[in-house]
Amino acid sequence: MRPLDGTRVLDFTWVVAGPVTTRILADLGADVIKVERRGSIDFGDRRGGLSGTLMRGKRSIVLNLDDPRALDIARRLAAISDVVVDNFSARVMTNLGLDYEALRKVKPDVICVRMSGFGLTGPDRDHVSYGPTLQALSGYTLLMAEPDGPPAGFGYSYSDLAGGNLGSLAVLAALWHRRRTGRGQLVDLSQLEAVASLVGPTLLARALDGATSIPTGNASQEAPGAPHGVYRCAGDDRWIAITIFTDEDWERFATAAGRPAWTHDARFATVAGRIRHAAELDRLVADWTRPRDAAETMRILQDAGVAAGVVADAEDLCARDPQLAARGHFVDVPTSEGRTVRIDGPPYVLSDTPAAVGAPGPLLGEHTDEVLSSLLGVSAEEIRMLRADGVVA
Amino acid sequence: MDASGPFAGVRVLDLCDEKGALAGKLLAGLGADVVLVEPPAGSAMRSIPPFWKGAPHAERSIFFWFYAAGKRSIMLDRGTAAGAARLRRVALDADVVVTTDAPAGDDLRAVNPRLVVASITPFGRSGPYRDWKASDTVAQAMGGMLYVNGHADGSPLRSLGLQAYHQAGILAAVGIASALIARDVTGRGQDVDVSLQAAVAGALEHVPGFWHQARLVHRRQGTLHWTRYFRVGRCRDGWVMHCTLGDWTSLIEWMKADGMGADLDDSALEDIKTRQAAAERIFDALDAWAARYTVAELTEGAQLRRIPYAAVRPPEALLRDPHLAARGFFVPIEHPDLGLTVPYPGAPFRLTDAPWRVARPPRLGEHDGEL
Repeated sequence: MRPLDGTRVLDFTWVVAGPVTTRILADLGADVIKVERRGSIDFGDRRGGLSGTLMRGKRSIVLNLDDPRALDIARRLAAISDVVVDNFSARVMTNLGLDYEALRKVKPDVICVRMSGFGLTGPDRDHVSYGPTLQALSGYTLLMAEPDGPPAGFGYSYSDLAGGNLGSLAVLAALWHRRRTGRGQLVDLSQLEAVASLVGPTLLARALDGATSIPTGNASQEAPGAPHGVYRCAGDDRWIAITIFTDEDWERFATAAGRPAWTHDARFATVAGRIRHAAELDRLVADWTRPRDAAETMRILQDAGVAAGVVADAEDLCARDPQLAARGHFVDVPTSEGRTVRIDGPPYVLSDTPAAVGAPGPLLGEHTDEVLSSLLGVSAEEIRMLRADGVVA
Repeated sequence: MDASGPFAGVRVLDLCDEKGALAGKLLAGLGADVVLVEPPAGSAMRSIPPFWKGAPHAERSIFFWFYAAGKRSIMLDRGTAAGAARLRRVALDADVVVTTDAPAGDDLRAVNPRLVVASITPFGRSGPYRDWKASDTVAQAMGGMLYVNGHADGSPLRSLGLQAYHQAGILAAVGIASALIARDVTGRGQDVDVSLQAAVAGALEHVPGFWHQARLVHRRQGTLHWTRYFRVGRCRDGWVMHCTLGDWTSLIEWMKADGMGADLDDSALEDIKTRQAAAERIFDALDAWAARYTVAELTEGAQLRRIPYAAVRPPEALLRDPHLAARGFFVPIEHPDLGLTVPYPGAPFRLTDAPWRVARPPRLGEHDGEL
């Protein structure tokens, strides 16, 4: 069994954040029915790769929501769903008559999850956003930079992944709440608040000291320590991350490095000294790593008990890392066309009722007929007419 | 409205250091009774800066405040027979143990078969790297997050905030909630095994997918987003995030009204795929135009036209954001011992029938008499 066996999710989400929420629910056994439009954007092969990783385990139906017959189908599906989720900007579902007040009339204990950029209330509720703009507003873009350097930020929409993962926690909490109280509810997830909640202690510190945050490159944001950073290795764009907090860490590092003269420098003997001279230490460590192989250096340092790791690129991660491979992080999934596609699996392990990839990404509208006939009892003849009229596809 | 939160009545023993502390914080926000089990010297998080008023003090770590908000604290020495026995007694009545010390979780599993035991470790509890060490930055590196952040000619950059730890904390909470739901059916607890590295890998977007489907290795390219629809530009008074999705026609008309943008007035660019290919040329033209505006003028004008522009702000701008203020995102929490009221960041999402709970962090051993 899986924890969400028997739970049905009607999924109006698109792009990335919403699909991340519903993929976790699908991994956990929910029947996720993804409502799509013809010409929905995707990232190539819908079965595997990026699209397949976002849509794994879901069913796809195509509804033309400009047609009242399609809206009626959507409402009838909502009436037999436990969770209805969307990530349109705040007003879209209301305009479609699929907002919480409308849905609870057909399903009184429905859990309605609205994932918008800014939330359902407040002066900016109708502002438009994407992951990169939310990261800019919440400090990530400006503060992820070298000291005195121009902004760099994430190269991707981390906020979509963070907000998506948090969205799945919101759904699980609401399902637990419904078990205990019998009540469904509206969940208002603002992507801005989701990423703002993850900035961390910096926000409290600024509230108290009124100071201006400045970028600190790769310096530690947890316990103070040096060296703490990312150092260039031999080869094309190869790097290693090394973290030294304590004197014991430093001793282990010095031993693993073969005790070059600079590791005996008294200025580096204490945590405070290493932090005071961090810039010089960074240069010395970088000189030491520069001619070395990143993976081999990682192994030497880890064998000595030092936190160190290659800065993994896509190939390191997907084709070379023995740890992710051993844990089955990436899974090969057969498709009904006789292909096998590779997909990212659930990134955590439940020992007794494991989450798992139940199916590859669906083709567009792959399950329209099966959903309409088995869940709503629509006859084959009716489906043919709806298809001919462009109501479904 | 249920004022007590969805996980009211669920007791969580929190044996986490900073690597897993967000899990308990999230569950406390959702109403669980989260009990932080601290050694006599206090959680290691209490010694992590910054400190209120600067000097190290167990009750003044702002780092600890953030991660321990809403938790209770008991103090016991697990190294002594009495301490270990007390922990086992407390575990008898608990529903969940969340720990960054996996063997401690195994010991408690034997006490109570209904326990959900979640461990957060650098690489997970199986596999060749199961005993390797990681910091947040090392986990970000090995999970693939770091390589794609930074300027093309510079070093890869770690995130703002401890995002490897945060993703692991979120996934631990997801796993715990799932295991509680399963326990209602099976009557048994189970183990939740969370790896920092895998949590990071699970919070990537394009990196693994394009390797799987095209053997493509995406690199870092400064502020140019991998989709090539976003790049940072410079206004008169600060940085702005440009976006070429949204209402392109309105954007071009706006530029033309300013006597600029002639080189972008090209019908081919109405297609988003063409804009993607021409990203550098487009953003250079947008930069030349943006330089005449302030950040506020440009972002307000863009939002009026349904173009998703945003200011590139420091995190503390959130504290003064009128929209967040109207929604009550920050919750003022009193620290009575210090005569201080601190605005804590609030709910990451809102369950309208079961509100998020924010409360001050506990003093060391504050709740020893209650458990």
